[in-house]
Amino acid sequence: MQSYLYFPGCTLRTMAKDFDASAKASARALGFELKDMEGWLCCGAVFSNVNDNLMVKAGPNRILSRAQNEGNTLTTLCAGCYNVLKRTTFHAAHTPESQQAINTFNEETFNGGVEVLHFLEVLRDRVGFDAVEKAVRTPLKGLPVGAYYGCLLLRPPGEMKLDDPNRPSVMEDLFTRLGCTPIDYPARTQCCGSYLSVSSPEHSEPLARDIMRSARNSGARLLAVSCPLCKYNLETSHDGAAATTGDEEYLPIVYFTQLLGLALGLDPQQLQLDAHQMQRIREAQAPGVL
Amino acid sequence: MLTRCKGFAKHKRQECCEMSTTPTKRVGVFVCHCGLNIAGTVNVNEVVERAKKQKGVVFAVDHKYLCSEPGQALVKDSIKQQHLDAVVIAACSPAMHETTFKNVVHSAGLNRYNCEIANIREQGSWVHDDHEKATAKSHIAVRQAIEKVKLNEALQPITVPVTRRVLVIGGGIAGIRAALDVANAGYEVYLVEKSGTIGGRMAQLSETFPTLDCSTCILGPLMVEAYRHPNIKLFRLSKVEEVKGYIGNFKVTVRQEPPYVDVAKCNACGECAKVCPAEVPNEFDMGLTWRKAIYTPFAQAVPPAYVLDSKNCLGLLPQACGECKKACDKFGTSCINLDAWPQVHEFEVGAIIAATGYELYDATKLTEYGYGTHPDIMTSLEFERMLSASGPTSGEIRCPSDGHTPKEIVFIQCAGQREPETGLPYCSKICCMYTARHAMMFHHKVPDGQAYVFYMDIRAGGKGYEEFVKRCQEEKGLLYLRGRVAKVFEENGKLTVKGVDTLSGKTVEINADIVVLAVGMIPSSGSHELASKLKASLDVYGFFAEAHPKLRPLESPTAGIYIAGAGHAPKDIPDTVAQASGAASKALDLLSSPTLEREPTVAKVTGELCSGCGICIPICPYTALGLSPTTKVAEVSAALCEGCGTCIASCPSGALSLRNLTDEQILAMVEAIVAS
Amino acid sequence: MATNFEPKIVGFLCRWCSYAGADLAGTNRMKYPSNISSIRVNCSGRIDPTLVMKALALGADGVLIAGCHPGDCHYTNGNIKTLRRFKLLQKMFDQFGIERERVRLEWISAAEGDRYAQVVRSMTEQVRSLGPLNWKNRVELTA
Repeated sequence: MQSYLYFPGCTLRTMAKDFDASAKASARALGFELKDMEGWLCCGAVFSNVNDNLMVKAGPNRILSRAQNEGNTLTTLCAGCYNVLKRTTFHAAHTPESQQAINTFNEETFNGGVEVLHFLEVLRDRVGFDAVEKAVRTPLKGLPVGAYYGCLLLRPPGEMKLDDPNRPSVMEDLFTRLGCTPIDYPARTQCCGSYLSVSSPEHSEPLARDIMRSARNSGARLLAVSCPLCKYNLETSHDGAAATTGDEEYLPIVYFTQLLGLALGLDPQQLQLDAHQMQRIREAQAPGVL
Repeated sequence: MLTRCKGFAKHKRQECCEMSTTPTKRVGVFVCHCGLNIAGTVNVNEVVERAKKQKGVVFAVDHKYLCSEPGQALVKDSIKQQHLDAVVIAACSPAMHETTFKNVVHSAGLNRYNCEIANIREQGSWVHDDHEKATAKSHIAVRQAIEKVKLNEALQPITVPVTRRVLVIGGGIAGIRAALDVANAGYEVYLVEKSGTIGGRMAQLSETFPTLDCSTCILGPLMVEAYRHPNIKLFRLSKVEEVKGYIGNFKVTVRQEPPYVDVAKCNACGECAKVCPAEVPNEFDMGLTWRKAIYTPFAQAVPPAYVLDSKNCLGLLPQACGECKKACDKFGTSCINLDAWPQVHEFEVGAIIAATGYELYDATKLTEYGYGTHPDIMTSLEFERMLSASGPTSGEIRCPSDGHTPKEIVFIQCAGQREPETGLPYCSKICCMYTARHAMMFHHKVPDGQAYVFYMDIRAGGKGYEEFVKRCQEEKGLLYLRGRVAKVFEENGKLTVKGVDTLSGKTVEINADIVVLAVGMIPSSGSHELASKLKASLDVYGFFAEAHPKLRPLESPTAGIYIAGAGHAPKDIPDTVAQASGAASKALDLLSSPTLEREPTVAKVTGELCSGCGICIPICPYTALGLSPTTKVAEVSAALCEGCGTCIASCPSGALSLRNLTDEQILAMVEAIVAS
Repeated sequence: MATNFEPKIVGFLCRWCSYAGADLAGTNRMKYPSNISSIRVNCSGRIDPTLVMKALALGADGVLIAGCHPGDCHYTNGNIKTLRRFKLLQKMFDQFGIERERVRLEWISAAEGDRYAQVVRSMTEQVRSLGPLNWKNRVELTA
């Protein structure tokens, strides 16, 4: 079975176990496996690239220099980890002077020799959406889902190169193959507020609400994300009450891998979708398969 | 015969090779004090005394300021009195006064090349503190110059004839102005334009800032004057296919597509267009309207005749339709001939002026602004056409989507410009001005509307520009927001512009009826191809490069090619016209005499040494080298050669040499440097 | 190495860029050692590798070739040809056992007076520390 070296990151082992589980289950159903790399550690999240202080880059560089012992690609799911690792690889290849200092400190050698992939890239470029479509057992008939990209998957475009930074389509293309009706809405690449939800929630909440409002106004009934922080910010944007019913503006949020798993015919329990979430998903759909 | 040994250091040249058979020249050395600039550090007397001891030097003297009148007189008189054959001037850099002293020497009856400069100031007294060392280095510089001048040939400038005719490529305002200036001076101009009429971008404009003159009203008379001028021959629907030759003697081939309509007979009745079944977007209206395949480019086109666009016609070979001809024969003047062929014109010119103009950057690349996703998001030129009385809406402002009158209009300046990562890094200079004009005209036509302008800076440096912008802002209540636009998107059928106003620190969302993007100016398509035909350099953005950014803005580094207008760099109409007249004046300067002198320090082939290997030929950037069809050895076109010497370094047999900078001269100078 | 060894350095400067840059160093009164003397050529492309070898054979301890930055050559691409020839020249040096540091190829524009001065300073010290080339004893071919 084809195996992709995998970096889970901290949150997928704690608050977002469902993201990790649903991805691994979907991978298996598609005929490949996500293999945890040896000796992984915290990537440092956005703080690793926020300034030129080389110390904060030691962690991600260490991850990558260990990964290169096991292979030349490293796949990840969390948008934050993806952004950090991909940018670290870019800088390792393009700024030899500072890279030399980092390598000396880490007592490792990494010069950009690992290709960092997002799970979406694996599905789109390696497995192929045609193969994914073939493996669909229960198409999600008409589920009006809004893909939420946030910032870190796409920007800075010169370094990330996943998709067009203003009009991306990779998630929508995937969802179409799963039988959904992906909804385009203007705020899908807008920032969710990131860690401002911790330090100054009064600034981040309006951003998250705006995203939901924009998605709902365009006809989405569900949001699919690729980042535990985005999910948290979106869920808590409505007075901190996650998954509260009765709030007209609120949209339920799932990880895109959970939708993938459902379409592939996997059991909601394998995807760690609880009964409440499944209820919301059914409500969002036209009378259909689930 | 000059031979040169490529043998190695062991061989002393004098032993095994013939040297030039010219007798040793009587060399005079003149050392300048340059006040204290040189004399303050270099022991000038010592330099003079040492110079006297050099082989060939018969006279050496110093002077406080050699470049002054008395200094030059000293040189001239000494040449005569001492019967000098050659002169060395030890003074400032040759970049300063080489020409001055060459002229002095010439006026004393010697060949200009019997004068060499030793740089003992910029690369001597000014850079070395130690007086002894500075003086020692000056000895070396003087000795180098002596050895070189002894071996210089007495070269005469190469005279080439000048064809007294100018080619102007591009029929916009720049091309028209340049053509008129040359024609009025009495010379022939061939004006080549790729479209069916002259006028260019200026014809598309409604008004011009800052005077709000009607653009066509001021351009029209110039177009007519150019069309009717006896000295101007217009080749419309034409492209330059090939350019051979060199300054003063260009051989140009132009390919002209047929209009299929006889200009003399056509009275622009339009009967043909009525029946033509083929419709395409009208380029003059930036695609906002349609035109037929047989069309007139615009109402004031010159000549005022219809043109058949053969690419969009249903077919001429074989004839698929022919309705236009039938209509013209029946109702018109029978001026359509569908059996016409492209013509190839070959002619000679002395100078070429490239005035190829600009296009707009592809706004679909600016995905954050959504151009192309909604008809009410437009580029500035599209809005310009809408403002124009001859445009798609006869000058009324209407939303392209449904025709209603917009009330809220947003202008975005610097769209995809001043943005190295995602667009053009440069500024297009005119957008702040035309945006102010657009916003003002909008308010004039829609008095109860509101215009918003998102800007980063206001660049209004021209004459009357700042006052004009202020007037627009104050008189019309335009809202200028200093900030960028993050996104333009459609929500619930309304266009929303999401931006920021940095001066109040707030994000701004505007529901706009129309959004106008001031996108950047880029060189016209086809200018890249043309530049390679002209061998004219382009800069990194594809604009025609100037010979020097400060001091020579009107000429290409390639001799004989001049540049004008937006094809050189984004600029407004006054600057374009000024540059066009300037380029014309440069061309006239070239044409002012029937012959032209070129520097004779060119490459030379000693045929007996050449094996015809041909290695040198692709090395030359000016294609000045070729293999003679008769002798089979290399030959140099002296007029094309620019004297860089790269071919000399590539020649394996030493057959190539550079006049007055031969290998022996270089080695003689090296010996002067290393001898202790 | 002997501390009072004064290396002799020959500089081939292209007229349009590096010679003008050297002049600018003078106009700005920058200071550098006088061990270098320059020969003005129209283009760095004029420099035949054998000229460089001959300069060393005649007694130079070091040679500086300076031209326009790639893309800026007055004659379009003469400097690129110089670069190619220079690479071959370096290979020849290795075979002869001549230190590569003795011959330098630098891109110096007409605006880079300070760079010219800096290059001359660093090259002079470098060649000084390498000592005299002593071509006769190192490379001389027997008759």
